[in-house]
Order: sequence, then C-alpha cells, then structure tokens
Amino acid sequence: MRGWKFSRRDIIKGSAALAASAYAAPIRAQAPASEAVTPALVEAAKKEGKVVWYTSVDLPVAEKIAKAFEARYPGVAPRVERSGAERVFQRIGQEYGSRIYAADVVNSSDAAHFIVWKRDGLLAPYVPEDVAKHYPADHKDADGMFATWRAWLSVIGYNTDLVKREDAPKSFADLLDPKWTGKIVKAHPGYSGTILTATFQMARDLGWEYFEKLAKQKIMQVQSSADPPKKLSLGERAVMADGNEYNMFLLKESGRPVEIVYPTEGSPLIIGPNGIFKNAPNPNAARLFQSWMFTIEAQQMAIEIGGLRSFHALAKEKPGRKPLKEIKLMKDDAAAVEKQGEDIKARYTQLFRV
Amino acid sequence: MAALTQAAAGHAPARPARLDLSRPIIFTFAAILCVLIVLPLSWLFYYGFVDRAGNFTLGNFRQLVSDRAFVDPLITTFILATTASIVCCAVAAPIGWLVARTDMPVRGFVRLLVTASFVTPPFLGAIAWELLAAPNSGLLNRAFRAVTGAPQDEYLFNIYSFPGLIFVISCYTFPYVFVLVANSLDRIPGDLEDASSILGGKTWTTARRITIPLALPALLAGALVAFLQSMTLFGSPAILALPAGFHTMTTKIWSLFQYPPKPELAAAASLPLLVLTVVLLRAEHMVLGRRGYSVLGGKGAEPRLVRLKFLRWPALAVCLFVLLNPVFLPYGALLNATFSKVATQIVTPQNFTFHNIEFVFFELSATKLALKNTFILGAATATIGTLIALVISYVTARKAVTGHRALGFLATAPVAIPGIVLGVGLFLSYTRPPFILYGTLWILLIAFVTISLPVAYQQLQSAIRAVHSDLEDASRILGATRLQALSHITAPLLRTSVIATWCFVFVGVMRELSAAIMLFTSETKVISVLIFDLNESGDLAAISVLGLFMLIVTFATVMLANRVPGFGGGIRLRNH
Amino acid sequence: MALVELRGLSKHYGSLAAVDNISLKVAHGLLVCLLGPSGCGKTTTLRLIAGFVEPSGGQIHVGDRIVSSPERTLPPEQRNMSMIFQSYALWPHMTVAENVAYGLTLRKIDRETIAKKLSAILSTTKLQAFADRYPGELSGGQQQRVALARALIVEPETLLLDEPLSNLDANLREEMRFEVRRLHDTYRYTTVYVTHDQSEAMTTADLIAVMNGGKIEQAGSPEEIYDRPRSEFVARFIGSSNVVKGKNLDQSRISFAGAALRCDGATLVAGGETAISIRQHDIRLLSTAPQSEENVVPAVVVRQVFMGGTRDYMVEAKDGTQLRVLAPAEQNIETGAPVWLHLPPERCRALMG
Repeated sequence: MRGWKFSRRDIIKGSAALAASAYAAPIRAQAPASEAVTPALVEAAKKEGKVVWYTSVDLPVAEKIAKAFEARYPGVAPRVERSGAERVFQRIGQEYGSRIYAADVVNSSDAAHFIVWKRDGLLAPYVPEDVAKHYPADHKDADGMFATWRAWLSVIGYNTDLVKREDAPKSFADLLDPKWTGKIVKAHPGYSGTILTATFQMARDLGWEYFEKLAKQKIMQVQSSADPPKKLSLGERAVMADGNEYNMFLLKESGRPVEIVYPTEGSPLIIGPNGIFKNAPNPNAARLFQSWMFTIEAQQMAIEIGGLRSFHALAKEKPGRKPLKEIKLMKDDAAAVEKQGEDIKARYTQLFRV
Repeated sequence: MAALTQAAAGHAPARPARLDLSRPIIFTFAAILCVLIVLPLSWLFYYGFVDRAGNFTLGNFRQLVSDRAFVDPLITTFILATTASIVCCAVAAPIGWLVARTDMPVRGFVRLLVTASFVTPPFLGAIAWELLAAPNSGLLNRAFRAVTGAPQDEYLFNIYSFPGLIFVISCYTFPYVFVLVANSLDRIPGDLEDASSILGGKTWTTARRITIPLALPALLAGALVAFLQSMTLFGSPAILALPAGFHTMTTKIWSLFQYPPKPELAAAASLPLLVLTVVLLRAEHMVLGRRGYSVLGGKGAEPRLVRLKFLRWPALAVCLFVLLNPVFLPYGALLNATFSKVATQIVTPQNFTFHNIEFVFFELSATKLALKNTFILGAATATIGTLIALVISYVTARKAVTGHRALGFLATAPVAIPGIVLGVGLFLSYTRPPFILYGTLWILLIAFVTISLPVAYQQLQSAIRAVHSDLEDASRILGATRLQALSHITAPLLRTSVIATWCFVFVGVMRELSAAIMLFTSETKVISVLIFDLNESGDLAAISVLGLFMLIVTFATVMLANRVPGFGGGIRLRNH
Repeated sequence: MALVELRGLSKHYGSLAAVDNISLKVAHGLLVCLLGPSGCGKTTTLRLIAGFVEPSGGQIHVGDRIVSSPERTLPPEQRNMSMIFQSYALWPHMTVAENVAYGLTLRKIDRETIAKKLSAILSTTKLQAFADRYPGELSGGQQQRVALARALIVEPETLLLDEPLSNLDANLREEMRFEVRRLHDTYRYTTVYVTHDQSEAMTTADLIAVMNGGKIEQAGSPEEIYDRPRSEFVARFIGSSNVVKGKNLDQSRISFAGAALRCDGATLVAGGETAISIRQHDIRLLSTAPQSEENVVPAVVVRQVFMGGTRDYMVEAKDGTQLRVLAPAEQNIETGAPVWLHLPPERCRALMG
C-alpha cells in the first residue's frame, strides 16, 4: 500500500470517532486549498452543460438530488448513472481500460474503491469550501481527492403487517431461527458496495459461521441493498437480513408497513464518498456539482428526502429517526475491504451459490 | 423498326465483363461478414485456450468441468432447456393444430395472441411474472389467499424457483414451436387427408394417422429450437434464478465479468454453448430441411378443417387459458403496476397515481438517453441490416456471382451464436487495437446487425426468390440497364418485404438484452439494459412504465409490418 | 440487317457443357424453332442470344455486329431484342398498358407516339378492354397476349420466345400457335422460338433446329426434319417413328427379323449395322401373306386399340422387336393373329450414327 497507514481506532462513541480508514495520511506534502464556487466556474460549467454522476445511491433519491442541483444551476443537467457500487467499480474499470472517460463525479457505497482509484491516480484533487470548513478530518481525504458525501447503516428490517413487533428479530443471531426460513430477503455483496462493506464487518465480528448458517435459511437473494426494503414494503418477504437504512426511513415515513431493527451486535456503518475523476469530460461542471453536493443545502436535502446521514457540521438529523450516536455500530475498515473484497465475494458466492 | 436500332455498327461499346463488377461486391460483403462474425469468434477461441499470460492452456476448460460453480449451472441449464422444450411442445402442438386444422372459433385472434407473446421481450415477461407470482407479494398469490383464507405465508406459485423459471421461459418460447407446427399444418395439402377419407378413414383417424405424422418433423424441429432458445436466454434467468439462488450458463458467463473480470473463463464457458447451438441447428436442418427458416409459402389445396362440434368453445377456452400466461396476466400486471402506488397492489381510486409515468419520463435522467440510443440503434441496425441482407440475398438468390453460397452461409451463421456469446466475443474484439469500439454505439450496432442478419436474410431471400428473375430479364431485354431493372421492377416488388423486414429487425433490437448487457457503457445504455438495471434495484413500477412503452412501440411496428401485404407470420425473432 | 448467326457457340457450367459448339444461321425475317427435350440446351442457347448468359466459346452475330463472345458480351438492353418468357414475366405492379408501354418509355419516346403505338398493339392483340387491369386479373391467354404485345411494341430486330405456350391449356395453345405465326407474318421479325412440342414447332417454324445434349442434331425445314430425319434421336423425337436395326446386306438393304429391308437416305457400308426409321402410318398391315416378299416382315399382333379414325396396333416381329402401326379403323385383326408388315422402301430412312 505504498507506505500509507490506516487508522484503526476504536469507534463506538460517536460519529467524530468513526475512523473511515479510506481517509489515510496524505501522500502529498500539502493538501490542496479549498476552492469557492466562482461565477467563472458556474459559467464554465454551463458551457459544458452537463455532468455525469456515477452513483450507487437509490435511484429516486439520486434523481431528486440531481434535480435540485439543476434547479440551483439551470443549464447544467446532471445525468445519473446508477448501479450497484461493485458494478460501478467494474464499469469504470472496464471503461478506463478501453480509454472511455465518461464519469465526472463518482459516489460509491464501497469506500474501498476510492483507495484503489486514488492509488491508480484516477482522481482529481478538489476541495469544496464546505468540506474544508465543515467536515471532520476523518471524513475527507488528506490529499483532497474525495470526502464522505453520505453515510448510512445496513440494518435488519421487517414488515409490520407480517411480523408483530414482539416477534421481530432483535439481532443477526435471531435471523438464524428456523421460523424465518424462507422469509428472509438479502442483497448481494457482488453487486452492492453497502452489502460488501457490511459483509466484511459482519464476517469479521460474527465469523463466517454466521453466513454459513444464514445460507441455509432459504433466503431470497436480490442484488441491490435498496431492494430488500422494497421487497419488505411489497410484503414479498417478512424480514430483511441486510439493506439500506435510508430506504427503510423513506418507506416508513411514506406510510409503508416497515420497521427498522438495529441489531444488538451492532449495525455496519457504510461510508459513501464522492470524488471527481481526473479525466472527467466535464471538469468544471464536475467541480460545481461536487461543491454543491457538500453544501449544507444539499446535505440537509440528502437527510430529509434521502434518509441519509451527514458528517457536515451544520447538518441536523431528522426528528423521529434514531440519532447515529445512539446506535451501536460495527467498525468501518475500508482498507481491509479493499484487500479482502475479492475473497469475500468468492466466499459468499460459494455459500449462497449465486 | 430501323429507327429504333442502335446506330452503332460493328462492336457496340461493350460494357466491362460482369465478373469485374461482382468481385468487389463479393469481397466487400465477405469482408464485412468476416469482421462481423469471424473476428469475435476468433477472439473467443483464442481467449478460451490461453491463460492470463497468453500461454496456451486447457486449464480454463479443466476448471469448467471440475469446478462445481460451473458444473452446476451446466446441469441446471440442460435440465431447464430440456424441460422447457417439452413443455413448449406439449402446449404449442395442440394449439397449433386447433388453429390450423379445426373449426375452432376466432382462430385468427388466437394466432394474433401468440404473435403478441412472440414479440414480448422475455425479460419483461419475467418481471411481469414477478409482480404476479412472487410467493408473498404476487398478485395471484394474494388473490389465492384472499379467496381461500390461507395463512400469510402460504402461496400457490413461487416464481423464484426452478419450475417458476421453466414456466416463464416456456411462456415466451412456445410461440417458436407454435409457428413451426402451425405453418407445417397449414402447408399440408387437403388432398392428402381427402385421400385418407376416401379410403374410409374417419375424421379423427385421418387426423391421427395422416395429419399429425406429417407435422411431426416440424414439432421435432420446434423442440430443438425451443431447447436452443431456453439454453441461450439471459434475461429471464438473471431476473428469476438469482433470487432463487442458482445460476444458468448465461448468467454464470455474465457474472464472470463482475469485478475482477475473468474473460478467459467467460470465453471458455461460451464455447460449449456455441458448439451445442451449432449441433442443434444442424439437427434442426436435418429434421426440417430448409423450410424451418422460410416464411410460410403459398398453400396448396385448402386445408381441411376438423369439425370440433360441441368441443369448439371448450377448445377456445383452453387456448385462451394458456394464453393468459404469456399475454393477459403479464400485461395486466404491468398495466396495474404502472398506475399503482405499490407495484403489487391492485389499482384503486386511493392508490391510483401518475407518479410512475412522471418519474420515468421526467425524473429518471437515464430514460432520455436510453430511448435515444435504442431508437438510433434500432433504426440504424434495421437500415444497415436490411441493406446488407438485401444485397446478399439478391446475390445468392440470383446466383449473380461465384461464391454466393459462401456469402449466404456467412449471413446465416450468426443464428448459431447465442447473444451472450456474441457479446463476450465482441467485447474481447473491440476493447483492443486496432478496433476500439467499446463505449461507442458502434459496438452495439455491430452486435445488433450481426444478430439480426439471419432473420433479415431469410426474409429477403424468400422475397427475392418470389420475384422471378424473368421479371428483371424482361425489363433488361426491352432496354433497361441492370440498375434500371432493379429500380423499376425489383425494388417496387420488394418494397413491402423490405419494410416488413426493417420493422422486424427494429423490434428485435428493442428486445435484445443478452449481447447489450455485455457491451453497454453508461453513454450507450439501451432500454432493455435500463430495465434490467431498474430490476436490480427493485424499481418495478418504473420497469412497468418503460415495459409498456416498449410494448406499445413494438406492437405499432409489428402492425405496420403486418399491414404490408404478403408477409406471413413465420418470423423468427431472436429471443433473448 | 437482323441476321442471327451462332458460330461454334458453347457454354460450360463447370465440366458440364450446356451448349456444345453449335452453329446456326437464321436469315432475316425467318422464324426458327429450337426444338428438343428439357435439358437439351435450347433455353441456354436462347439466353445466350439474349445476352443473359455469356458464352464460354464461339460467337453470336446479329446483323454485322458481334454481340457475344467470351471476351465481350453486349448487355441485353443494348441488343434491340424482345423476349417472351415461359412465365410471361408480366410485372404484377403495373397495369397492362404500363407493362406494354414500358419498352417505349425506356426509349424516351414522346407520349403521343407511345399512346398511338399502344392503342395499335392492344387492338392487334385484342386487349383494348384490359388496358387498365393488372396482370393478376387476367386469364392465362390474356396474359400471354400481353406478353406478346409488350415484346412486339418495341419493334425489335430480333424476337425471342421461350416456350411461350407451355402454360396454356390445349385448345388455347393450338389457337395461339397460329396467332404467333400470324403476328410473325405481319411483322416479320427474325424470331427464335424455343419449344419442346414438335407440333408447335411444325406449325410455326420456317426452320427447325432439333437439339439434344447441347448439340444441334439436325436443322432444316419442318418437312425436311419430318421426312428425312438424320438420326435416331430426331426420328424418335419428331413424330415418334419406329426404329429398327439390322446388319447391312448391301449398299441399300439391311436384314431385319429374317427379312431384307431396302431403304433410302444413305449408302450403306457392307458388314456394318444400320438403324432405319419408319413412321407408324407408313407401315401397311396385311392379314395374309403378300406375294412380293420385298420389305415384308412377318409379325404377331400384341395388342390393338380403336382410336376413332384409326386403329393403333402393337405388333412383334420374330426377333422380339415391337413396332407400332397405325392402320385404318375398319382393319380389325384380333390379338395373337399373325400379320405381315409391308415397309415401303421409300419410307424407310437409313439413320446416321
């Protein structure tokens, strides 16, 4: 890893202490200075007219954010290119391998990807004003390549029409109860960065035996971590073994019969950084977009309508949602995910047969 | 008379010998076809037999036959294709017979419905069946529980299962068997049956002893085609098999391109599919001769209709019941999901919404590009494919140049290349110099042109054959040049077939998923891939909107093609 | 003018010679029939003349031009010919008038002239009433006349007909034979007519070329071909003659079934073997032995059929050769009875080869 070290601090006490180990020591002498949005940048962005955002955030959320950006900067149309984080990663690899530079700004739910991209020199340094001013050091890259645009948890959930509150699982271990056989929906680490990250943390903390047993529960295997909440909402399965907390918030708040369970073993924390690619076809629009994405306006919007969590100092959590600091979390370790990701996927495929 | 003779005496200005003109044609088109077909297959073979370092190895194949992760999908695929093929025959043969040979009411309408299931993209059908028969949320299972009062976790159907997958695949594969069987029954001249009757055979005896045996080769060929279709299908297994926890060969090949990509294994895994397809097509050819590909030709004596008497209406009821599955129920489910707030809840005034339509067409930023790409590719593929097919089929039908057979063979060869295999081959070919086309619409265009070439070629060749060469010669001898003859005589007579071919290629492109899934990039996404993406994140309502839109465009195009007279129903569309 | 001459013309497809070194000269204004069974090369010859096929060897001259040779072939459109196809090749998307006028419009002739010529040819071919119909709406005979009109209106130097009557029913065919001849007499184009029907050739042609295996077996006037066939093939193909074979006895006689037959047409070489042909109606059937034994062959009646005007006998000579004899209807000899056949020497043609 070319001589950079990873912070591996104990992190249970709160967001500030959450060391996302994607954010390592700087490789340059000095971090680039932050840049404000200038009228010249806006003009240049408008000339480019569009910005392509590769992301793994759930599509309706992504499109709302994109629309809000376009409303703020008319004339710069974002195009959302949504897929599972692992697919996004593969796609960018494939595209760059063929010298196709389509991505401007990329957001991944697998923070380990940014380690790879930074190492391969694919990212362009750019520090938006808000990141410099309002973001904690362990949620921005020391070299100014990326910062945590969003954070959320992978949680257990259930459909309240199908499961009574008192019967609902309280922990990951509860999911192994035979009464849930054939009733569980689960997303795939080969597709979803959220699930890869969560699988890593759970395998580390609970051991692979947990997954071996879970694999015998006749789970319904879906791809995206946004899908299990939707399957719960439709009533297709009673319980989800993993999936996006933010989709659960959104569904619950729109009146769908779903409920979140923060497992007693701890909930995997997922960090979703945003960064600009060096070969971005629309570099100015990319900067404008990146800048705006970290403004309190955008961050608060991601919280309100996206159900996401923010590390922006001024961001306020939405009432009615359990504050992050009250939740027992599993430790994030992007660097380890980067190293073990392939193994995890292979092992998972072996256990779950897909 | 003398006034009209050419003034030139002696040697009139002789035009260059025909060979000079034809050589460039054959070379150009042979070159085009080679690039289209031979190049990707060569890379496929190359990759299959080398390791990462580029040394020759059989290791890829060794892994293929020893690793359970490959052996299981192989076995699964085999069982799947066999079962689906049997189911298709069991369903299609009786319906084909009822439609072609009995006095069942509204036979034309039943044919129309089969055509509808024919042109429905199978992946769309699979998603619609998710809406219908997901064990808990599926509309049918809800209805079942509501009617019987069965407990919450009981269900009638589970589409996320091996039988479920077989069922859905059969829904959209049986039309292939139907077309072959019905067309062959149409072709059996009535006098063969009359000959049996005159010897004392009763209606049913005649049907059993004469009609059915005559249709058997078509049924057997249909079984092979159904096997092939089921084996090479990508969309339906990707949508239904993965949640159920198993792979088929096509989904396995596709998964090999996930990070980190293993192209050499994908190439190795593609080759058995390719070989099996070639073998099966040879078998079909032997069973059926050339007829399998050709559009239904002119009928001989009017076929005799068996009188079903009091069974007429029950027979129709059976047909309609069968067609519930590929047509009425899925379309209904998609329509329902389009206007419902919750995809699997029946639309009521309370949960009626236009939001899904709004979302797809005004909020989803990928829609516009995907539609644009799809229409550009559809139109370009249809135009280029039809043009290439037109020239090649003219050359082969008129035997205009030596070597026309080779051209004809190359034009039909892509039939033997499953879409996903072609996708892998093209990916390997065009992500490297000298042709870096990956990431452009060109690579998709190449894939789609290659895929649609056989259909277009078969259609146009039979159309050109129907335009007797005497018609052109008559024009030539009266003083028209070859080009004048083509434009005055051949072109107007072929126009209808050309339009129809164009339409069917266009429709074929819209529903193509298996090659596109290997070749798209964010800038070159098409509707089918967008739908597939949406399925992965569970956005069923958005899929329903896009799917219905696709169906509307498809049916409009098919109707346009069918309005064109003289175009039979025996179109072979690829089904991926 | 439009003299058509084939000089050593050949067409090979691979190792197969469809047309094998044929030469034929058709004087201006004559109607020549290429007559032969299917596969004899007659249609290929016609298509060579039309320019649809390039020769492998030899030349075709029309007037003073060489229109075809292996080196250069004038395309069909520059030959000022017309052709009537077996399939008629009427263009289904054009009306009768459009079909017929097509050749004139290609020649950029003014509308008025076209209208005039069109009306004239339509009336000659009795098609005025159908001018606006499409070919699909016409009967076979009417289609045939449209094809004729379309070919004639351009006033070609040479008219080519490829089995033009084979798709008509028997009555119409008979009628159209005379129609073709009548039109030919009216316009006197040099005409090459391909048919496999010998009576069609007899009624229409000035000159018949009997083809077999890519070669011209015999060319001559209908009378010549009929009366003096030069080969067994021609003898059998034209008017289905009896052909008998025997050893040469001297310069003019052969031995056949124990009898000596004097024949005509060639000087025989002693010791050789010769086939002679004799027409069915030229044999006289006698129920008692005649006094003169010259050219009389004893035989037995194998079967006989009453044909109305005649009686058709099959008789068998001593050596087992069967001969057909057409006798007057009133001459009724029962099966199994002995008969004597008189073969008049002047009707016995010695064949070559």
